[in-house]
Amino acid sequence: MITGTGITKIFKQRGGVLGAREVPALRGVDFAIAKGGAVSFIGESGSGKTTLGRIVAGLETHDAGEIVIDGVPMSTLSHRRRQPYFRRIQLIHQDPYSALNPTRTIHQTLEAPLRLRARQTGRPRSWVDGRAAELLAMVGIDPGYVLPRYPHQLSGGMRQRVVIARALTMDPEVLVADEAVSMIDVSLRLGILALLKDLRERLGVGVLFITHDIATARYIGDDGELYVLYRGQVVERGATEKIIADPVHPYTQSLLSAIPVLHGLERPGAERVVPREMQREGEPDGGCLFARRCPFSTERCENEMPVLGRDGGPGQETEQEYACFHPKRRSVIPVGVGE
Amino acid sequence: MTAHTAARDMAARDMEAPGVAIRDLTVVYKTPAGELPAVRGVDLTLAPGTITGVVGESGSGKSTLALSLLNAVQPPGRIAAGSVEIDGLGDVLTLRGEDLRRARGRQVGYVFQAAQNSLNPLKTIGKQLLDLGRSHDVEDLRGLVRDAKDLLARMGMDGARVLDSYQHELSGGMRQRVGIMLALVLNAKVVVLDEPTTALDMITQATILRIIREVHEERALTTLVITHDVGAVAEVADSLAVMYGGRVVEHGPVTEVLGDAWHPYTQGLIRAIPRLSGDLSLARALPGRPPTLGTLPKQGCVFRERCERRMEVCETDEPMSVNRDGRTVACHATDRHLTLVKRKEFV
Repeated sequence: MITGTGITKIFKQRGGVLGAREVPALRGVDFAIAKGGAVSFIGESGSGKTTLGRIVAGLETHDAGEIVIDGVPMSTLSHRRRQPYFRRIQLIHQDPYSALNPTRTIHQTLEAPLRLRARQTGRPRSWVDGRAAELLAMVGIDPGYVLPRYPHQLSGGMRQRVVIARALTMDPEVLVADEAVSMIDVSLRLGILALLKDLRERLGVGVLFITHDIATARYIGDDGELYVLYRGQVVERGATEKIIADPVHPYTQSLLSAIPVLHGLERPGAERVVPREMQREGEPDGGCLFARRCPFSTERCENEMPVLGRDGGPGQETEQEYACFHPKRRSVIPVGVGE
Repeated sequence: MTAHTAARDMAARDMEAPGVAIRDLTVVYKTPAGELPAVRGVDLTLAPGTITGVVGESGSGKSTLALSLLNAVQPPGRIAAGSVEIDGLGDVLTLRGEDLRRARGRQVGYVFQAAQNSLNPLKTIGKQLLDLGRSHDVEDLRGLVRDAKDLLARMGMDGARVLDSYQHELSGGMRQRVGIMLALVLNAKVVVLDEPTTALDMITQATILRIIREVHEERALTTLVITHDVGAVAEVADSLAVMYGGRVVEHGPVTEVLGDAWHPYTQGLIRAIPRLSGDLSLARALPGRPPTLGTLPKQGCVFRERCERRMEVCETDEPMSVNRDGRTVACHATDRHLTLVKRKEFV
């Protein structure tokens, strides 16, 4: 179990005549990833989703808030004592082409971390080769074919599977998958998503899935939870299927409306919101972060910042939470032609 | 505007948009294993004034096909056979030197893959625009700048500010608009967009697709969109051509191809798209992986290794494109249900 409370990150930007400017990348984000759970963060670039993934993987510091891994608050540990915890959280990033060392065979790539793992767990050296083959089989590729080869001899989909196998060498509790399928051929994407789902079920590995493509979040498990991140704030949260079918926040509705309709198979949702593009703008003073792009904003939205909960107030424990003063369910997603 | 002039404008527009006929196009790449075809025997007609979407995965030959429209295939690639006839210009593949350079930009505009990265980082957009004008001997450079500003304003940007900017000062969506502006500012009537929405956020992508559609209609263009994203084509195109292993395996009106795909590859591709609604258990990835130049079979159907309807004949004979009801498909398995008409392609 991994939880984060109030995770806040401020980037200091150099620039302009006024000197340094502070840009909040994450504004007090709370989340929890249960054992074997699936949590998806969606948002546009600049939403802070990648930063969050890097913080969870221990690759980035945060300015406020607490990460708790297996009941141990990370802030109470020294940098060195934290490492064994963060090693159990492995990051899989977008580009399987640059994630693997091109001068090493897949065998060499897997051997190094497995030797470390063997030392840590008191296993003999002979365990390493067998385990490498086992992991590759687990991610659905033929060890005999892949082990002696170099990354450039493999397709993108195979490389991404090798990257996942390498992450599994550390017996991770959570895989952080940051846009893990966006560079994979369309016909193979579902294969990688199904693999993540399978690893959750077989190994009890949790998945923190970070993406701009909401539809992919459905495929890592129908028990998943979805967090919609806008400029560092979680604006809507709930069960993935629920949020997609019944979005309440206008930003979630905009994201869902932007997904292309497969004309011929689908027709557009009746209340599709025409999304407005992100503008480069400074910090709004006090109001809702989304107000200027929101088609439904009112004076209140300009002046007051809604908090995640029910009806824009900090709320009771509920299945679906949102940070909006004017919540309204809208049917924005495409409907099958036959339905 | 009266109804009469509106009708005349429509007529003028139809006259203006040129048709493009790609015939029997074969492009080969030199490899240690000899010359291998990245595009083979492709027939594709872009009807005047329409948007054609070409969808394919990596190695399908879609980008090579797009470059052929500019006769711009670079070594080790070589156009080995075929023709690309553009109305009012002739066969692009026979153009050489100065004629070819003029056609690029004036007749055929090209928005490169990742337009985000194809701009010069050391020059302002305005300087690059002037370079483009000079290289095409535009005399009225002020007029060119005016046209550029109009186009940028049309796409929702402050033209003067954009022209004064360097590429790093623009967001991905803005750079993509600049790419479109540079492709259209010399009044090209045929426009090729290679992966116009890759690496853009969802909402920006939706906006760019809307802009492509609107500008296409306003300027009476014939447009080719090359992409791996079926959704992007579904939103913007009139007709959809599906490429696999260097062949066009299916082509037809976009709603018909998506609603009732004939080729097993198209069917599998559609089933493999992550979607917002629909039964999760029906969705699945295609088995195997797309072929590369080296793994393309020497004979028979290029898709057979991943095909669930493979037959004996698929091992030996390459399926011919057949036409029915204004659609084409190249598959032995679907042939049986179609009356074979010996015209290779719908127009």
